[in-house]
Amino acid sequence: MAGDAPWYEAAMVVGITNALNVVADGLGPLMTPVKAGAEVAAVYDEIRAFYATGGDVPVPFGLAAHDPGYLGDLWAAARRAFGDNHLSRRLKTALAFAVSLTTRSAFGTAFHLGELRRLGVGERGTLEVVGVTQMFSSYTKIADTLQLEPDMGGIAPVDHSPAPAGEPPPR
Amino acid sequence: MPTVRLRDAEEYPEPARKAFELSKQWFGYDFPQPAAMSRVMAWDPHFGGPHGRAMKRAMSPGEFTRGEKEMVAAVVSGANACAY
Repeated sequence: MAGDAPWYEAAMVVGITNALNVVADGLGPLMTPVKAGAEVAAVYDEIRAFYATGGDVPVPFGLAAHDPGYLGDLWAAARRAFGDNHLSRRLKTALAFAVSLTTRSAFGTAFHLGELRRLGVGERGTLEVVGVTQMFSSYTKIADTLQLEPDMGGIAPVDHSPAPAGEPPPR
Repeated sequence: MPTVRLRDAEEYPEPARKAFELSKQWFGYDFPQPAAMSRVMAWDPHFGGPHGRAMKRAMSPGEFTRGEKEMVAAVVSGANACAY
């Protein structure tokens, strides 16, 4: 996990996970997802292939499809966030599962649990993620209750590499 | 500002100071004082002891590496909006 790149990726996974979860949990029971039509067929095919689902696309994408242009961009961001890069898709899915569990997202917890299993993570591995989530849900609340100030920020070395495709900073 | 005064390591009994040494090894970092949470958890060894063991067990490598678990811990902390 050296350098900043994995952490940028992790943050983007957390963000898009939350974005999908809030809509799915909040509106999923209230609105009807868009059925596959000509305008969204290509994107729906990509989504189905990515998640190896034969039928409906996941609810947040079906709802976003009311505006095909919006769906296209939302899907592009989600696909980028969850694809293999510095972090594996497997780990990104574990992060999404942990965030969904922490934020009590019924959609996200079930969805990413299914994805974890589909990607080959066993019950032991799943329960490892649950254990870390549970222990840090304790740890963080103790720290917050006592209003502790961060004291471990200096452990990691600073990454002086530039942004992707950018120039190194002047020394 | 913490709502309690965090005691220095020297103010803890010997068993806690031994635990602080183990904590230093766990983090691989020589803190001027043990991390605040280490000192908080050492306040009540009957709580901090088993909690710390459960934490260490949860963070040990299995199907996921220690590094991967640290990242899970970081995103859970972020989702809990915990600055610490």
